[in-house]
Amino acid sequence: MFKATKALAALTAGMLALSACGGGGGGSSSKELKLWHYETQDSAMGVAWNQAIKEFEQTHPGVKVKFEEKGFEQIQKTAPMVLNSKDAPDILEYNKGNATAGLLSKQGLLTDISSEVTKRGWDKQLPAGVAETAKYDAKGVMGGDKWYGVPNYAEYLQVYYNKALFDKYGVKVPTTFDEFTKAMDTFAGKGVTPLANAGAEYPAQQYLYQLALSKADRPWVDRFERYTGKTDFHDQAWTYAATTFADWAKKGYVAKNSVGVKAEDAGTSFMSGKYPMFFSGSWWYGRFEKEIKNFQWDTFLWPGSKMTLGSSGNLWVVPKGSKNKDLAYDFINITMKKDIQNLLANNGGVPVAGDPAGVTDPKNKKLIQNYQTLAGNDGLGYYPDWPAPGYYDVLVAGTQKLINGTASPSSVLDGFAKPYNENLSNIGH
Amino acid sequence: MTSISAKRGVPARRPRATVHRRTPGAWAVLVSLAVLAVVMLLPFVIITFNAFKSPADYSSHGPLSVPKGLYLQGIKDFWERVDFGAKLVNSLIISGSVAILAVILSVLNAYALGIGRIKGRVSILVLFLLANTVPQEVLVYPLYFLSKKVGLYDTRLSIIIIFTAIQTAFGTYLLSSVLSAFPREILEAARMDGAGRFRVLWRVVVPISRPTLGVLFVFFFIWTWNEFFLPMIFLISNENQTVPVALGVLQGQKLMDATMTSASALLGIIPAVVFFLIFQRTLTRGITVGAVK
Repeated sequence: MFKATKALAALTAGMLALSACGGGGGGSSSKELKLWHYETQDSAMGVAWNQAIKEFEQTHPGVKVKFEEKGFEQIQKTAPMVLNSKDAPDILEYNKGNATAGLLSKQGLLTDISSEVTKRGWDKQLPAGVAETAKYDAKGVMGGDKWYGVPNYAEYLQVYYNKALFDKYGVKVPTTFDEFTKAMDTFAGKGVTPLANAGAEYPAQQYLYQLALSKADRPWVDRFERYTGKTDFHDQAWTYAATTFADWAKKGYVAKNSVGVKAEDAGTSFMSGKYPMFFSGSWWYGRFEKEIKNFQWDTFLWPGSKMTLGSSGNLWVVPKGSKNKDLAYDFINITMKKDIQNLLANNGGVPVAGDPAGVTDPKNKKLIQNYQTLAGNDGLGYYPDWPAPGYYDVLVAGTQKLINGTASPSSVLDGFAKPYNENLSNIGH
Repeated sequence: MTSISAKRGVPARRPRATVHRRTPGAWAVLVSLAVLAVVMLLPFVIITFNAFKSPADYSSHGPLSVPKGLYLQGIKDFWERVDFGAKLVNSLIISGSVAILAVILSVLNAYALGIGRIKGRVSILVLFLLANTVPQEVLVYPLYFLSKKVGLYDTRLSIIIIFTAIQTAFGTYLLSSVLSAFPREILEAARMDGAGRFRVLWRVVVPISRPTLGVLFVFFFIWTWNEFFLPMIFLISNENQTVPVALGVLQGQKLMDATMTSASALLGIIPAVVFFLIFQRTLTRGITVGAVK
């Protein structure tokens, strides 16, 4: 026993010495592009960016890309500290939004890349609604005048549906909101809950916000997301959304016991064929394609709405402390090229500057065409949790009350208004 | 403190001879222990199941089903993706160094506080206890600026120093109260034989309290091994990362890969479990200083 302790002590003591001298071995040459992102290797972005790294190394002989895969959590929690140190990467993927990229830009940790964007023509490749989240003003609010990042991909929400269940219950794919309601009635009448939902995470609030968006327009979204005017939480759109969603819960369109369900479980229960429909983001697309084996599925945009939830994807940002800014811009340029964009599309992603003609799979083609329809109509309505820090949890709590029926729609909307207005006064709007 | 807890010549407790006929009470205890064991082990069983499932199997049959086949790709992929071997070495270096250094420092502190009975020792102990209750989130920014100033940001040494301090705070508190009950006559005997303070520490106190030190060592190792938050903040380069930080790579923004997460969780807990099994005899010897020899 004690022999083991001693051996271990000797071993670790030796390692301690080793680690002490190992600390100084990071002297890197300038011909290295330090790149971080947090997309999994087999996701659309992971595949496309791997290829971009290869192309970058081919076109830049002597430069090595030092790619480090990070966790989302790690980048979120540590970015302000890392970017403020000499160990900052040269380029990294970062979450778009006021509380994330906006905050970093306000703190002066990101490079203003406006001149590069116009010089290299990236602004012409990005539709207005997508570019909004890459530009921030002096207060770090999106839709500003300076570019702090470039998105490669977009995301939006649509209804995924199970063809087998639609056939079994004789339901046709709805094209209007009335047909949509009727389809849900049919399912509910046969004892099948029509919509997969997760009350503990983002899906429930996305149903609610989509209902509001179907009665909203662009100025309404700008007021809510960019504080261009006062948001009235008892206006027609919000009232309609809250009362309709509460009504749906009552009628059993979403399951009462979905209150405590997480998004992952909602997704897997759709994949196992338990629910005929699931309204969620394009981030599920690649996974559904790979893992649903037991039935045919397809998608449609929310019927009867010009706008739907969606935005640009995450951004490539260049830290202030980046030692190789020009190389970083070159890399971004490669990711915006047609072949990388189409590679992204062919792997189930939504490229910002893709070309449907270059996409082989018909389903993937539809994914991109739907996006182009939305972006062309300026129909991306962003996400409801963006306007204030911690707003996500406010929305989760509110929608849970609606599903449970423990609070009236009007009092739930009051609950949304309070933290929203508090945040406004905090940031001085 | 006034009474001497360990009596001369009392041997360490031996396992009682097996009782062949169980009373109803003993049965009740046995059954409830068995239920408890099942409850404790169930999460591990589920993780093990999911670690060996293919993603498609998981999606179509849910997390609680028994795997339809043995799927090792998840574990293999994860190992290669994060270079798990290197992460193991990092964790071993950090946890091992912290455990050794923290035990040494704890002994030295506790010798002064528990046996030396220096002035103001109660307030010092309270201070150590307070240091233990400070949440790590509070420490992040001060430590970040300090480590940046001295050039230790993003080094394993920074984590070793931080956790040695954190674990020593607890170790000092615990060992001080243990050593304050140390049999005085042994110390007096040693002194009469002409041993100095240092000699008393190394030749008398340390050998006798070795089981306690062993327990502390194991605890420090496992606690440091499982730390996530501070290592995540301080070890930003992938080549410096520890095992729990590497597991964090799998947490996506909106999606999680449940099977690979299970595979990685399984890989992550195995070293701690192995370490525990090796040293479990030390653990069972208890926290108090044993018999006087």
